[in-house]
Amino acid sequence: MRGTGRGVYVGVNGRGRYAACKGGGAERHVALCVAGRLVGWGGGSVCTGWAVRTVRVLQPRGGAFPAFPIPETGSAYAVLPVRPSPHALPTAMAAVAESLSFLGLTPSARDPATAVRRRNRGPRNRKKGWKRWAGPEARLGREIGDFLEDVTLQQRVAGGLIAEQPDAGLFFVDTGNAEKGRKRKNKIREKPLHIDLVLQPDSKVPPPKDILSHQIPNGKKERRRRQFWERLAQRGVLPRAERRLQTRLQNAAAPPRGPPREKAPEKGRVDPGRSFYDIWADDNPLERALVGQDSWFLQQTQKQRVKRPPRLQQKPSQLPAVEVIAPGGSYNPTFEDHQALLLKAHEVEVMKKRAEDKVERQLRFPTAAEAPTAETVFREQCEGLLEESEGEEEEEEEQKEEAVGGAQPSDPPRPPLRPGKKTEQQRRKEKEARAQELRRRQEKAWRCRQQQLFRLRSLGRQLRRWEQELLRRRRAREAKRREMEGRPRRLGRIKYEDPALEVQLSDELAESLRTLKPEGSVLHDRFKSLQKRSLIEPRERAKFKRKYRLKYVEKRAFREVTL
Amino acid sequence: MGGLEKKKYQRGSATNYITRNKARKKLQLSLPDFRRLCILKGIYPHEPRHKKKVNKGSTAARTFYLLKDIKFLLHEPIVNKFREYKIFVRKLRKAYGKSEWGTAERLKDNKPTYKLDHIVKERYPTFVDALRDLDDALSMCFLFSTFPRTGKCHVQTIQLCRRLAVEFLNYVIASRSLRKVFLSIKGIYYQAEVLGQPITWITPYAFAHDHPTDVDYRVMATFTEFYTTLLGFVNFRLYHSLNLHYPPKIDGQAEVEVKPAEGKEYAMDSESYLEKLSALSASLARVVAPTQEDDVEMDEFPVEGETAEQMDARRKEQEALEKHKKLFEGLRFFLNREVPREPLAFVIRCFGGQVSWDKSLCIGATYDVSDPSITHQIVDRPRVEQQVVGRYYLQPQWVFDSVNAKLCLPVADYFPGVLLPPHLSPFVTEQEGDYIPPEKLKLLAMQRGEDPGEETEEEEEEEEEEEEDDNDKDEEEEEEDESEKEEEIKLKKMEEQKAQSNKALPVKVTAGKVRLEDKQRLEQEQQSEEKRLAIMMMKKREKYLYKKIMFGKKRKIREANKLAAKRKAHDTALKEEKKKTKKARRA
Repeated sequence: MRGTGRGVYVGVNGRGRYAACKGGGAERHVALCVAGRLVGWGGGSVCTGWAVRTVRVLQPRGGAFPAFPIPETGSAYAVLPVRPSPHALPTAMAAVAESLSFLGLTPSARDPATAVRRRNRGPRNRKKGWKRWAGPEARLGREIGDFLEDVTLQQRVAGGLIAEQPDAGLFFVDTGNAEKGRKRKNKIREKPLHIDLVLQPDSKVPPPKDILSHQIPNGKKERRRRQFWERLAQRGVLPRAERRLQTRLQNAAAPPRGPPREKAPEKGRVDPGRSFYDIWADDNPLERALVGQDSWFLQQTQKQRVKRPPRLQQKPSQLPAVEVIAPGGSYNPTFEDHQALLLKAHEVEVMKKRAEDKVERQLRFPTAAEAPTAETVFREQCEGLLEESEGEEEEEEEQKEEAVGGAQPSDPPRPPLRPGKKTEQQRRKEKEARAQELRRRQEKAWRCRQQQLFRLRSLGRQLRRWEQELLRRRRAREAKRREMEGRPRRLGRIKYEDPALEVQLSDELAESLRTLKPEGSVLHDRFKSLQKRSLIEPRERAKFKRKYRLKYVEKRAFREVTL
Repeated sequence: MGGLEKKKYQRGSATNYITRNKARKKLQLSLPDFRRLCILKGIYPHEPRHKKKVNKGSTAARTFYLLKDIKFLLHEPIVNKFREYKIFVRKLRKAYGKSEWGTAERLKDNKPTYKLDHIVKERYPTFVDALRDLDDALSMCFLFSTFPRTGKCHVQTIQLCRRLAVEFLNYVIASRSLRKVFLSIKGIYYQAEVLGQPITWITPYAFAHDHPTDVDYRVMATFTEFYTTLLGFVNFRLYHSLNLHYPPKIDGQAEVEVKPAEGKEYAMDSESYLEKLSALSASLARVVAPTQEDDVEMDEFPVEGETAEQMDARRKEQEALEKHKKLFEGLRFFLNREVPREPLAFVIRCFGGQVSWDKSLCIGATYDVSDPSITHQIVDRPRVEQQVVGRYYLQPQWVFDSVNAKLCLPVADYFPGVLLPPHLSPFVTEQEGDYIPPEKLKLLAMQRGEDPGEETEEEEEEEEEEEEDDNDKDEEEEEEDESEKEEEIKLKKMEEQKAQSNKALPVKVTAGKVRLEDKQRLEQEQQSEEKRLAIMMMKKREKYLYKKIMFGKKRKIREANKLAAKRKAHDTALKEEKKKTKKARRA
């Protein structure tokens, strides 16, 4: 594809993978290539969404064009004319746009200029409506906006208006291919790191110098407050905290004279200076108000506390509150005790490993021998189908045979099967048989009872045996219950798990008390102990749940760095 | 027929339980408040025996409470306080939001608070009940008092915990009720006997904190909140039982007041009192000054049904206890700055010793390093640069081991730079047949008053002796095993002889020999015979059980022997290594 724009060539080669641009005629006709995404068409000039990709000097002569990759198909290469007059910049852009407009780079590309201008009189209460609106003011506004955008773009990219730049800032004289090969190699060697490229500012507009004023939150407010206090300090007024500190110091220096001040009222249960009294004495302040009053009155006015049920005096577990660590947990243990503790810890680890291995074994990808082959897969899919069909076939055959057999007249006629119809004789006989059976049973039971009289001893033995069995079961039950009582209860979704054993390996043991490194945490130990005694239910920390999923976006500045 | 239709889950265990969420709704509390209330009131979740019935057919794991417990909670006045607090927070937030600072101040001044005194009384109707549950309270208070004041919990809580812990330590010192100390890798375990109740608690090492993240601090703080109240009341009662002032007053208060400048650089006046108390070096003032008459021995009343032997044993125990209490009496200790000051000062003072430290280390130092009356200096460095004649330089383990052994151990094993003997756990009581490590055997012998080998002798000889001891012990055990066999053989022989004697009718009279009757042996034989007969008469099941028990015992002995052999091998290996190194050094 080839297009022309004011003596400048725009070209995309036939395969669509590389593009090359060529200057018009003389050496000075070198193009500034701007690559990026073409977002849409505006009124008169190439619209937003342009970003500078590469600035290259192209050779005027034919032959090998320098090639550069196109990031995506459908990209446009706008070529600007050299040295346009400053005021003519928008029109120049417009010209480029015109030149590009009939290229039809995107499938949906449409020339806005040539299209029939429709009067859009839709509602303008939404952004869309404003965008659609094409009145003269809007057109002017867009033009101005585009112009300003373009100016900022030029400032960002070139550090000022391109038209105002000197030639040396825009071009250099390409002296040929000779050194290129060598330079390439050097370039590869000196290739900067990706991270450096990412971190490099891609705008030529320098950052504002007074960054701090932007970065300190409430910086202005704080500054103003500081200034306010400085002013006050000049007048001799200090902030409250400082005043208090100073009075405290002064008070400490000079003990208070006169009558001692009353003690401040206590601030509840956590006041570190709170006072206590004998709560178990007969006349404690707790119950002093209730002593000697009518019990009926107290009960009716709900002044008497409800009695605590005696059931609550029992603790849920009989385990001791503080379980002393095994003797191997001493900071300087004997050899045997330490070995015993190590062995215990080792066993715990082995159990854990075994469970882990089991899961791994079950989830392992099967080896080549065990792996399903096409044959086994097929067999598995046919499981049950083949046999059924065989059976059906057989049945069908049988039915066929029967049908064939039934057709033969030589077979003897079968007695008609008529369920529910019995002759009188049959009924009578059945009845008799039933009665006889009943009689026989009764007789047998009677005889058995008679016999049992002689089996009294063995019966007694059986009874005793049964009772013993019951006793044994009861004991076993009780033993089990007792055993379960020592265990922590299941109080919620999560089961209690024993904390990891605190163990120091032989080479971790301290030589002396000074070099001792404590193992484990007493806080953790206490917490687990409370759980073990079923005083609190084991639970997980509440997880932070995000209401919406995070969306990951690669910033354009990052994406556009290529090496 | 007739009657009402019986519906499922409307009677029986399903009606006795209530799920946590329902209970929470019934009490109109948020979950944290409900949890706090349950902890304060001592109401714990309950595991129903038939979960499916209680859970109305579902098998999902839930937390259940007994319905009656929750109904009991409904009467609690604190529930109202919780609701008030909720309202207070709401109002305060509103005031802040509207920038009404005056309102906020007023609200803050009238912040609703509550006290847990009545709950303490309700949960522990008697003082002894409270003492029995003191383990938890102490451990928690000691733990919280070591927390850094960085906002993990309220600073006030930490201060209160510290105050109560220090008060309790001072009580233990004053009453001399400490019995056992155990330095473990986790923390220090103490056991004291307060009014006949053994009380065990654990304290973390100083500066050993990494804050675990899987611990619910709110729950722990709630427990602590209750336990501080409990411990305060217990402390009050304990102090009064010893006629001590509460809040505690340092003895010789006048002296301190005369020179208030002392310790000024250490802490402010408001804090220095607690600091001085927590230094544990000063004794406490009594309400009534102790007189000499207090030392008069108590009259002893024999308990009914007690034999003279038991009384004797009791008296002996009493004497041992008195002796144990005065273990360090008359000794003067000096702590170097590298040893843990607080536990050592506490332990030494608990047994009547005097203790001091460097003045710059902590407030409350009573004498200087250069004091000539110091008998023991606790050092934890491999070498001591300048040694003063007339005092022992010892490693801190000596103090703890001596306390556990109930006697002042020989100091030679604990000199600085010496490889320490193992620190044994005093909480382990060996049963018969258990393996007892040689260190413990030595200690037991010392307690009995025997001298296990001269200290001046060479170590190796000592070890050899020990080995011999071990061998003897092994042999004894074997003998025990064999004695039964021998008896059986003898019995067989006797039976045979009897049978023969019956057969062989011709009787021969020979001159008799005088046999010396060994009464002991006879008695023993008699006993063993009785035992054997008893075994024979056992029922089959009981005999099976008996055999099982005996087998277990034997197995235990075997294991103990194995352990001993292992130890011996270990020791010999160590010894050889030592010799080799010695030789290498010489060469």
